[in-house]
Amino acid sequence: MKITILNGDLETKNSDFSDYIENLVKQFQVNNNIVDVFHLKKMELSYCHGCWNCWWKNPGLCSTKDDAEIIFKSYINSDFVLFASPLYVGFTSSSLKKISDRLIVLLHPYIEIRNKESHHTKRYKNYPDFGLLIKEENDTDKEDIQILNDIYDRFAINFHCKKRYLKSVNFNTVKEIVNASCNI
Amino acid sequence: MQVVIFNGSPRRKKSNTKLLINSFLSGYKKVIDTKVPVYYIASLNKKEELLYAYKNAKTVIIFFPLYTDMMPGIVKEFFEDISKIKNSERKKIAFVVQSGFPEAYQSIFVEKYLEKLAKRLKLDYIGTIIKGGVEGIKLMPSWMTKELFTNFSSLGEYFAKNNEFDEEINSKLRKPYKMSKIKRNLFSIISKTGLTNFYWNGNLKRNKAYEKRHNHPYAQKWSH
Repeated sequence: MKITILNGDLETKNSDFSDYIENLVKQFQVNNNIVDVFHLKKMELSYCHGCWNCWWKNPGLCSTKDDAEIIFKSYINSDFVLFASPLYVGFTSSSLKKISDRLIVLLHPYIEIRNKESHHTKRYKNYPDFGLLIKEENDTDKEDIQILNDIYDRFAINFHCKKRYLKSVNFNTVKEIVNASCNI
Repeated sequence: MQVVIFNGSPRRKKSNTKLLINSFLSGYKKVIDTKVPVYYIASLNKKEELLYAYKNAKTVIIFFPLYTDMMPGIVKEFFEDISKIKNSERKKIAFVVQSGFPEAYQSIFVEKYLEKLAKRLKLDYIGTIIKGGVEGIKLMPSWMTKELFTNFSSLGEYFAKNNEFDEEINSKLRKPYKMSKIKRNLFSIISKTGLTNFYWNGNLKRNKAYEKRHNHPYAQKWSH
């Protein structure tokens, strides 16, 4: 399986979370998966400017030239994507949100009715399912987890895929994450 | 009551969000004749100025467009930044979320987050306005946007008087909440004629990009 991991950790050194991700990558590889892992904060990544060049000027291509292109390629050619991030003020990091916004380059501007709502149509044949791996804050509660589940379920509708799970480094071992990701 | 507005659109001065803020302020000024400062969150080189304005405001209103079901990444970064600020006195916070999608329903999930955010940051939560169908308002003739701007102006007027949102206008703006069955069916029928793609195809043709509209440049060759 080809797996893309988007690590949204805002800490760029000495981080338990990124150590966990490193172990996770090794475990995935032991199980014969090909893994692309991106520590977003260490890369040159702008936010989505909302220019829509990818929708009506150079269809399917992002005009912002930075490190994002390699992520777009990895994402759309993967069998599974892991959105990984510690929580900051109740949600995944701004680094992860910025690249998530830019994934609209993978969709058409055209609208169809899906799930009884208006959503963008597919530009690609297949979109990878994803898992969500978080690290809880001291004050994370059930309501926060519900909000995260809701928002990422919405993301799944928009991006023509399924959210497989929401797991936390506080409670789940690396092996559990590998099993949940590879049991299709 | 010192009010400060933050525009969270990545498009900044070219944003639809700006038009909504302008209408809001035109109503606000009918009651309180003072200049309300508006800051652009996407002006990343002015971060310190932004955070200083936030720190000293008594009431904060944050307007932003819905980006993949949430606030845009730069607005999330702003939330991370303000969470580190120690508030000397209690502050009030309000939000306005606008989306290109027509249904208000698409924005009610971020609304839950915003309410929780206010609680987490120990701010008094005024509420959230949700308005769908905002994309393209810059290009629409004035008769099409008149009601929208009038509503936002009334919203501003009421806010100046009461320091809160008019619930009646809020519920009016939230329509349609979801697409009715009739509208969905109608959309499906019309989409077969290609009419629903008219706006996009027109722009694609104008940019000489219509032939390339189905390009999928990031796929590996063997996968398609």
